[in-house]
Amino acid sequence: MNFFNSEKYLANKEVIFIIFLILSILITSTLLFFIWGKLKPNANLVELKMRTKSWWAMACIFILATIIHPIISFMAFGLLSFAAMREIASISKNIRDEDRRVIIWCYIAIPIQYFIAYKGWFNLFMIFIPVIMYIWIPFVLVIRGITSEIGRSMSVLPTQLMLTVFSISHLAYLLSLPELEGFHAGGRGLLLFVVFLTEINDVFQFIWGKLLGRHKIIPKISPNKTWEGFIGGVLTTTVIGFFLRFLTPLNEVEAIGVSFLVACAGFIGDIVVSAVKRDIGLKDTGSLIPGHGGLLDRIDSLSISGPVFFYLVYNLYYTA
Amino acid sequence: MKRLYLTILYVYLMRLFLKLIVGIRYHNKEALKKNKQFIVVSNHNSHLDSLALLSALSSSQIANTHPVAAGDYFGQSPMRAYFTRIFTNAILIPRSAIKGGQNPIRMMSSAISKGSSLILFPEGSRGEPEKMQEFKKGVGLLLKMHPEIPFIPVFMKGMGRVLPKGERMFVPFDTYVCFGEPRHCKTNNVDDIVSEIEQSIIELAENSFVKLQN
Repeated sequence: MNFFNSEKYLANKEVIFIIFLILSILITSTLLFFIWGKLKPNANLVELKMRTKSWWAMACIFILATIIHPIISFMAFGLLSFAAMREIASISKNIRDEDRRVIIWCYIAIPIQYFIAYKGWFNLFMIFIPVIMYIWIPFVLVIRGITSEIGRSMSVLPTQLMLTVFSISHLAYLLSLPELEGFHAGGRGLLLFVVFLTEINDVFQFIWGKLLGRHKIIPKISPNKTWEGFIGGVLTTTVIGFFLRFLTPLNEVEAIGVSFLVACAGFIGDIVVSAVKRDIGLKDTGSLIPGHGGLLDRIDSLSISGPVFFYLVYNLYYTA
Repeated sequence: MKRLYLTILYVYLMRLFLKLIVGIRYHNKEALKKNKQFIVVSNHNSHLDSLALLSALSSSQIANTHPVAAGDYFGQSPMRAYFTRIFTNAILIPRSAIKGGQNPIRMMSSAISKGSSLILFPEGSRGEPEKMQEFKKGVGLLLKMHPEIPFIPVFMKGMGRVLPKGERMFVPFDTYVCFGEPRHCKTNNVDDIVSEIEQSIIELAENSFVKLQN
């Protein structure tokens, strides 16, 4: 490990360009929401403001990881997974009090999964949670010996691990992908591409929905989601993805297809987590009590779009 | 010296641990800063409770704020009593009257007369997770003797899952600590004071629950 190899990374023009782009977008949007909030005190900007705040955090971590060492990204994503797993385990009503000690195993799986991602052991990475933990958690539950409603815990705990750890760890694994000839942005570029696209997709679905939204798409789960917002968001994201394709090894056609799928996957993640929260009775808590469903809101779309993007790119370019 | 190590231990290390690993969230923590001297009154589900409240204090308050702990539990051996006093700054009181022993109310009262603040768990013991037991009278007697001291009601949720009574394994869960506004007792009757405090904590619990639901 050679820390402070910043020269190598700073020489990377694509990444530097996008960092400046992100910083300028962040500064503009923070100012915009601040002025908007001052002009129209009644406008409901909590959601957008929270998003900008988490963008700032992400940008800071990304910049630190770029100029110091990529291991910072692995630790940051690991902490993110841990906090998300803790949150979903805390608010879920499908986990019994007796499952406390089994939840420890879910937490233990997090550093292991990120260590595997850091080492780049792809086959182990793919099976660790979907196969090994899927066997191990029911086994530990059975050993505890409390059988009433054990089936529910057996299905809920591995699913929560998939949603918060397995899926998010794909973002970190992007940084462990091998170098490709003729493609300079590398894993950092791919990571930037998918995170930026997913977040901008959320924002544009929101904006198009506010501007044109008429026809509700799935009113029982998310009353604010409309067909107009969905289609407008997906199209905008696809166009942005096309112009940001220099961050990836994709060609024009692939960039359009991948961006389109990432946008759709982001929408799916959004409504799946919304449904989970609605089931718990936590929908639209916002930030009144910070931390109750707040973090899940931030990672909902990423947890689906991340793996979708990863496997698309992996199968297109990294299977030699 | 005491202030220094308690500050390092709680204001920095313990707070970082609680926030990063346990996932604790403080709500309206500013309530602690409004008065120089106060009595924090909270529900009690876990050994973590007093650590969580100590970590909410600022470095100027920490050396002068004492959790009140059960002498018959934490003072079982002189060693344990010593470490409890050193590391949590606690006052150990006997929970039941012992012949020739010190009067617990007088011990707390003299600490207040010296200018200290107290952290009290009027339930007396940790009890079952997310359930509140009936309050003991001691807090009422104490506030009757010192009507000039405000009390700060605190409602904590989730601690009983992180480290419940009788468990040694600690498991991180999101927890939150909700501080109410500091207030003075309205009456001079011990029973009324106790029920007023109890009511203020139940109110906090209900308010936060309503916020959770909407």
